[in-house]
Amino acid sequence: MTASVVPVVPVQPLPGGRGDSVVLTADEIARLLPHRYPFFMLDRVTALVPGVSAEALKNVSAADTILAGHFPGRMIYPGVLLVECVAQLAAVIYGTAAAQRAGGDLVGDVSHRVGYLAEIRQAKFLKPVVPGDQVVFKATSGTRVGALISVTGQASVGRDVVMTARLAVTEREEPA
Amino acid sequence: MVATLEETTSRAAARQQLCGEVKALLVDRLALEVDPAMIGDDQPLFGRGLELDSIDTLELAMAIEEQYGVLITDDETDSLLSLNRLVDHVEANRS
Repeated sequence: MTASVVPVVPVQPLPGGRGDSVVLTADEIARLLPHRYPFFMLDRVTALVPGVSAEALKNVSAADTILAGHFPGRMIYPGVLLVECVAQLAAVIYGTAAAQRAGGDLVGDVSHRVGYLAEIRQAKFLKPVVPGDQVVFKATSGTRVGALISVTGQASVGRDVVMTARLAVTEREEPA
Repeated sequence: MVATLEETTSRAAARQQLCGEVKALLVDRLALEVDPAMIGDDQPLFGRGLELDSIDTLELAMAIEEQYGVLITDDETDSLLSLNRLVDHVEANRS
């Protein structure tokens, strides 16, 4: 376990014996987010403190259609999509907190709460991400004013940090 | 209790200094192209004032929290309306 964030959520073994720190499977993430193919980004959540922070994995594959165009003969996973991954992980952070408030379970049908990406601040792309890379995302939620939530995020491949960014995202309130 | 002239003067100087600090913080964190000294103490921060937008409130709240350890809760967002109100809030809540 490489996480610097202490997971408060018990780790569940995956069917088939893949046991390494799975907090949320891709199917569970899909219940929390409205995003779907080709804009469903995260493969697995590996650490989670609802409302506070999370870590997730994404495997970058040459089969990803975006890489056919970015770029032919020189596949690089787009930096803007790394930022989107952090935004989606932020939605997992506050979505699981909302699900817990509503029913106690970590996963619930809370995808309607996902709002907008409101700001990208200080994004740095330090190293290209290419097919075969397993990207580890870390996101931490910070100050909140109204529906606006600040998020700091980073992506790394192995020991290398490949992207850092600060974002603001919004959460939609529950209907009255 | 009546404050002495000395107390009043030193309080005013401290207030002036804090106003200056907050103006500098504002310009730095929101990357405003304004000389901090040109920001009036009563100038509205939003709209016709410094033309901040609602997304800037988050960055400003973060900056105040980091610099002074003072939170701006959802009920206190009125304190972001002008520099004086913001400085009032910082003065009242910092430890």
